[in-house]
Amino acid sequence: MSDPTLDKLPGGFKGMSEDIGSDQTTFKGVNWGKAMMWIFLLSDTFVFSCFLVAYMKVRASVTEPWPYPSEVFGLEVFGVPVPLLLIAIMTFVLITSSGTMALAVKYGYEKNRKMCGLFVLLTAIGGLTFVGMQAFEWSKLIFHDGVRPWGNPFGAEQFGAFFFMITGFHGTHVSIGVIFLFIFARKVYRGDFDTGRRGYFTTMKSDYVAIEILGLYWHFVDLVWVFIFAFFYLW
Amino acid sequence: MSDDLNIKKTSSIKTKSSSVSGGGTDIDYVRPAELPEQDLYHGHSFITKWIFCQDAKVIGIQYTLTAVFTGVVGLILSWMMRMQLGFPELFPFLTAESYYQMVTMHGMIMVVYLLTALFLGGFGNYLIPLMVGARDMVFPYVNMISFWMFFVAVVVLMASFFVPGGPTGSGWTLYPPQAILEGTPGSGYGILLMLISLSLFVIGFTMGGLNYVITILQARTRGMTLMRMPLTIWGIFTATVLALLAFPALLVSSIMMTLDKVLGTSFFMPTIIKAGEMLSYDGGSPILFQHLFWFFGHPEVYIVALPAFGIVSDLLSVHARKNIFGYRMMVWAIVGIGALSFFVWAHHMYVSGMNPWFGFFFASTTLIIAVPTALKVYNWILTLWRGNIRLTTVMLFCLGFIVTFVNGGITGIFLGNVIVDVPLSDTYFVIAHFHMVMGIAPLMVIFGAIYHWFPLITGRFLDETLGKWHFWVTFLGAYSIYFPMHYLGFIGVPRRYFEMYDSPYMTSAVGMNEFISVAAFIVGAAQFIFFYNLVKSIRLGKPAGKNPWKANSLEWLTPQVPPEHGNWGEKLPVVHRWAYDFNVPGAKKDYITQTTPPSEVIEAEVEKT
Amino acid sequence: MTDTKKKEETSTHKIGIYLWIWGLLFVLSFFSYMVDWYNFQGLLRWSLILFFMFLKAGLIMAFFMHLFWERYALVNVLLWPMTAIACFVGLMVAEGKYTVFSRLFYFFVGG
Repeated sequence: MSDPTLDKLPGGFKGMSEDIGSDQTTFKGVNWGKAMMWIFLLSDTFVFSCFLVAYMKVRASVTEPWPYPSEVFGLEVFGVPVPLLLIAIMTFVLITSSGTMALAVKYGYEKNRKMCGLFVLLTAIGGLTFVGMQAFEWSKLIFHDGVRPWGNPFGAEQFGAFFFMITGFHGTHVSIGVIFLFIFARKVYRGDFDTGRRGYFTTMKSDYVAIEILGLYWHFVDLVWVFIFAFFYLW
Repeated sequence: MSDDLNIKKTSSIKTKSSSVSGGGTDIDYVRPAELPEQDLYHGHSFITKWIFCQDAKVIGIQYTLTAVFTGVVGLILSWMMRMQLGFPELFPFLTAESYYQMVTMHGMIMVVYLLTALFLGGFGNYLIPLMVGARDMVFPYVNMISFWMFFVAVVVLMASFFVPGGPTGSGWTLYPPQAILEGTPGSGYGILLMLISLSLFVIGFTMGGLNYVITILQARTRGMTLMRMPLTIWGIFTATVLALLAFPALLVSSIMMTLDKVLGTSFFMPTIIKAGEMLSYDGGSPILFQHLFWFFGHPEVYIVALPAFGIVSDLLSVHARKNIFGYRMMVWAIVGIGALSFFVWAHHMYVSGMNPWFGFFFASTTLIIAVPTALKVYNWILTLWRGNIRLTTVMLFCLGFIVTFVNGGITGIFLGNVIVDVPLSDTYFVIAHFHMVMGIAPLMVIFGAIYHWFPLITGRFLDETLGKWHFWVTFLGAYSIYFPMHYLGFIGVPRRYFEMYDSPYMTSAVGMNEFISVAAFIVGAAQFIFFYNLVKSIRLGKPAGKNPWKANSLEWLTPQVPPEHGNWGEKLPVVHRWAYDFNVPGAKKDYITQTTPPSEVIEAEVEKT
Repeated sequence: MTDTKKKEETSTHKIGIYLWIWGLLFVLSFFSYMVDWYNFQGLLRWSLILFFMFLKAGLIMAFFMHLFWERYALVNVLLWPMTAIACFVGLMVAEGKYTVFSRLFYFFVGG
């Protein structure tokens, strides 16, 4: 990122045409791993888009009424029904973890081992909280409300199917992210990125850019949640 | 760095005027390396060198062998299908159920596990690092995992032959609801294993695909601009991008159908009354599956076709000793076809009962995509025009490709129009069309490419005599198979029927069906000439030496043949030109390799690239 | 474009920008939650939901994922494929409407 030669290159569309016309690299100054993560996220965007498009298409074409999410996902607090309370808290937690991740990436650039590790750890804890709350949400829906993938008491049966599938797929992404966050928190604390220690599986040297790559993935998970929140809970 | 770019510009002007007294360092200037040398893991044991290997070349060969193995299985299945169609009721084990299972497995194996894996996994892995001048793929470890995921996917697919109920028999498109309902062969374990196998394939392919894309975009050698890359790389690159964006739709539809099957959800399952009884499914949308499937399926056609386009361009150019006509046009055609392929998918669904207005949109986009495709055909022909054509086996296969591709492409224009498609839909005309355009045509390229690059991989030529026999039998035989099928389609013979019994058109087409079947047996058998040739030539073939075809591209310029791990020995190559400087006026030799600096060919009137 | 100024920040951005975006995301999430709280319906609900959604997505991509500071080559490679998704979404909206029409027409009205 702090490559001084980049600053001399022209920006904007002129820069784009020069980058594409140049030799060696098309994305100037972008690390291989980071470029790969971006392209992977592009591919993953298509996965989630296909899920959401399928959801939209089926929801638009069922003849039975679709359950009203605001009530299904509501919680009672001291006898007062609050719509989407849990979802609001989950959103809060995920955005918080996204913010801490952004700071971890910032300290990663600065090669600030302690702060970077701290914020990666905080992000992991945020992610874990999110997964825990999602487990709570699922168990409430399954055991309390009787929502099943093949049917529910509120209306069209695809409601449960799509809900469990899409949030499940997102939750899997979060869980994988959490695992990697813990692994990388350990790596940061151990100083792998300062010493360039070689990875166990890949035998490649560690570098702080890994934190940025992990950050991209984590922000993407947050990004997907934005869409799920809008389309699943608010629609 | 911007100063560097200016120096480059002035240097190219000097090359053009060619007034500089030779040997100047100025005109040979290439920007210095941006990135440090790649950090590579060198295998030490047999296992790390040949099995869990991180060398892209070995992975490419592993991909090729696995894909060819599945291809042979697909070939045998097609034999049995033709046996049933040409000589019905001759063999008692060929029941309607097993026929549908063969159709399904043949289709899926050939499209996904043979062609996609061979072009991208096989040729992509072997050629990308060599052709762009990299030491290896950018993530060798991920690349290795990619192959083993593919391998597991193939094992799971093959396992479905041996589970109770056999493999799925729902047709390669796996349309629900019938794919997972009782009564369809293999609706139990068969379809489940198919869906799992496809999901594994997608995951494995994504890992490989990221490698290919990033290697091409970020790991080219000095001087290798995008517009100097051989068209092979352009084809593989664009196809990989398509795969990365299209396979998600397949993954999603596989997951959803698995849930429909296992958990009893109703994503794709409408209300169904079976034997007077309501099933528990309710309100799902079968047509959604078709949209998802073809959102993957149409780009998939180009995933198979674009690498073939790219490779054939290179082969034609080398074996006609002439630069490719309209290189930039070819590149833009590849990219344009790739982009457009995401907007044409529902032309596979004209008779599916989708929104009738879609016909307008998809017929228009489909016909638009014919424009860049036709451009490419013209450019191939113009490349041959007044070229110094050498009728090697490679060239013969390329010519065979052009013919079959034009044939299949033109029938594609028929089928792209709604009003023509409706009567032809689900007839043998469709079978003939897609086998011509994405069966035979890409296979011709694969054979040509293997004859072309075999000397690089093994250091020996394949036998030319056997190769010519292989070509002529395959080419004429394939035409004997698929040309009559157009006619069968016109008289209305429906596809996917296990037997025609004594329906009126069948009595008139019996002889033709027998002829097609016999031709199919012969063509299939001819492939074993090829396998024999491969095995024989590895040890006994004529030694090829370095750069036997006198090609320009980097893969032939490695210090060792076959190239070792790391490809380039001490120093990475530096590229000064495109890969198509053949028969340049004023040059001493009839080819100028990509690494030749301008000062060495100062008198040649090379293209500015 | 204030090119030079932006580039100087590339190596490491001020912590303030992250905190700002962070806060803004909370505020926007709160607003979209309020859409549900006040029970807006119809086109108003849709446009508000989509507006806040795209705004939040844009902020996350631009600042948290640093796309704002990336060179245009990467940005364009990432954003153009979205047209395919947009086309898919648009067509599936039409398809969904047609499916529900044909279901209601043939199953309930009775053809």
